[in-house]
Amino acid sequence: MEQKLRDEAKSLLEQGKVDYIIGFEPGSLKFTTTPLITGAQGDISRLVINPFIVNNLSVFLTEVKGRVGIVTKGCDSRSIVSLMQDNKIAREDVVILGIPCSGIIDLSKVEKLVGKSRDEIDDINRDDDRVVVTVNGSKKEFPVSETLFDNCLGCEFPTPQEYDILLGEPTLPPSDKYQAASLAKIKQLKAMPAQQRWKFWESEFDRCIRCYACRNICPACFCQRCFVEESEPQWLLPVPRWQENLMFQVMRNIHVAGRCTDCGECERACPMNIPLRSLTREMYGIVDELFHYKAGMDKDASPLLAAYEATDTGDFIR
Amino acid sequence: MTQESRWEPTLLGFLCRWCSYAGADLAGTSRRKYPANIRVVRVPCSGRVDPLFILKALRLGFDGVLVSGCHPGDCHYQTGNYYARRRMALTKRFLEYIGIEPQRIQASWVSASEGQKFAQVVTEVTKEVKEIGPNRLFTSERQGNGTKATR
Repeated sequence: MEQKLRDEAKSLLEQGKVDYIIGFEPGSLKFTTTPLITGAQGDISRLVINPFIVNNLSVFLTEVKGRVGIVTKGCDSRSIVSLMQDNKIAREDVVILGIPCSGIIDLSKVEKLVGKSRDEIDDINRDDDRVVVTVNGSKKEFPVSETLFDNCLGCEFPTPQEYDILLGEPTLPPSDKYQAASLAKIKQLKAMPAQQRWKFWESEFDRCIRCYACRNICPACFCQRCFVEESEPQWLLPVPRWQENLMFQVMRNIHVAGRCTDCGECERACPMNIPLRSLTREMYGIVDELFHYKAGMDKDASPLLAAYEATDTGDFIR
Repeated sequence: MTQESRWEPTLLGFLCRWCSYAGADLAGTSRRKYPANIRVVRVPCSGRVDPLFILKALRLGFDGVLVSGCHPGDCHYQTGNYYARRRMALTKRFLEYIGIEPQRIQASWVSASEGQKFAQVVTEVTKEVKEIGPNRLFTSERQGNGTKATR
């Protein structure tokens, strides 16, 4: 798959079909990758595909000018389609190099399982339904349910929904038995009484330092000017108090409703380890339940909140 | 009598200029009685109401928020209330999930001829909010009956 990607990327650049390629290259740390944005054919050999290509690269599409070839997993392709629905990018300006994805390995889960840090681990490999970790020459196997990211376990569309070139055979979503693991945290929260839930979020957002990493990494957060930075009226104080932090995150979730594809980038970007996906995934669920809408499935559809149905639920209205 | 039993909720109402605001007016001119707990903000359309307004009101210490517009099909701008309905449905469900009592976020359709209904809605909403008690969601930084803005 990696070689095919390099060949395709190279010919796209050679033929002038794209100005830039957005993909992944090996990161400076072990078992990481970092985004690579390049227009030089010489850089193409740096492109990689492995089970650690974590970033949702579609966030760069609104910033890179010209025609772009982009390496895309299932969830990312939906983010791209969602951007098209909002007229942020044009279909003809993007060449989507689709990767049928079988899930991204959560390094912190692996580190916890083997009790070693990344530098002490020799190798991590995906083998069908297991992940094989090599430490000091000895191999240990773990089921994917314990090693993949939570959002990958509940992935509905691992193969890109929209693509120009598909770099492999389409993959099937993980079996339903992993769904429970994917939604475990949310289920736990929902079982709490409302007051306790509020206390939970209070304690989580007490840590928030308002670095806005979650917003900046989110492809659905594309406002030119964010409401948190508005000063007239000043909706939020810039001080990182939990009240303001929680309000910020709640509003962000409402803004990305119908755009969020559960890619999980916000939670990964958070330096304070706030379980943001427990908010975004619940919003994703509410959108699906109330309006039978999934983000980024149809580039010609109207965005969720820019449309309505006469039959929309109104049972809460007096 | 304790402080608590004398407590009265303060509600913020966003009323659409064409229907609900006129409905509230009619309630007044026809001398309908309803609790004086509601503070009214006139908006051009229920579709103007950003979920941010609702959240900000709760943050400021209002005990409940009512968004009221024209009945489906009656919007002066044809479709504004349909958009409002989607937005409100999402907002209400999501705020419930993070732990805000659902009674604090209310919506109604009140037409310009429904003065009676407006009085009834405000009465019911006030009663419901009174039952769940003061909005203490954000109150770890202050005591008493909310901020200056709501008194």
